Amino acid sequence: MVSRRDLLAYLIGAGVAGTVLVGPYAIRVSVASLVPEMPLQQVPFFLLPILWGLWNLVWARRQPRLGIGVWGALLGFVAAVLVNLLFLAEGVWFPAAIVLPLLLPLVYYLLWLLVVGPLNEALGVEGSRLDG
Amino acid sequence: MPTRDLIRSATPAPDHDLWQRVRDSLGRDDHVTLRLPAIGWLEAAALGVAIGTLAVVPDPLRVLAAGGLL
Repeated sequence: MVSRRDLLAYLIGAGVAGTVLVGPYAIRVSVASLVPEMPLQQVPFFLLPILWGLWNLVWARRQPRLGIGVWGALLGFVAAVLVNLLFLAEGVWFPAAIVLPLLLPLVYYLLWLLVVGPLNEALGVEGSRLDG
Repeated sequence: MPTRDLIRSATPAPDHDLWQRVRDSLGRDDHVTLRLPAIGWLEAAALGVAIGTLAVVPDPLRVLAAGGLL
């Protein structure tokens, strides 16, 4: 039996990530058609909704003593490290990918603070923990 | 009274207006209020550093694509 709160937490995380995926699905196709010679690495970004949903589920269950933004930034850091390891394993790593562990936590921090956190609060997943 | 008319008169007609059912189930006051946190220096700095990072890396589109943001 899954509690309503857990299910909501998962759906909020998965829903926000699924919405963000408009970028990879739509803009990437446009960029690839405009700049066909640009090498765009294939990352399994379609897994992001599951990852975000589970991360928000863990947040709702454990209520860590971190702000929701920092919790999201932690996910961004983990995702960035995993992407770098994936590129290394596939032999397609490029030097600029080293900035991902800095860039992704910042973007994830803002998304979790400004989107996931307010949704969590509005739908009753958490109290009023909107501090970063 | 014919049997069919008898049955019809005994059972209320089903409500086919599903939107009305949805509206009824939601209720008039079932609204969600989103409370956005205040944007402070930390958030502005995070946005600035993210944009600045993309500005200085040699291949920003490739980096965005690698991060699943593009």
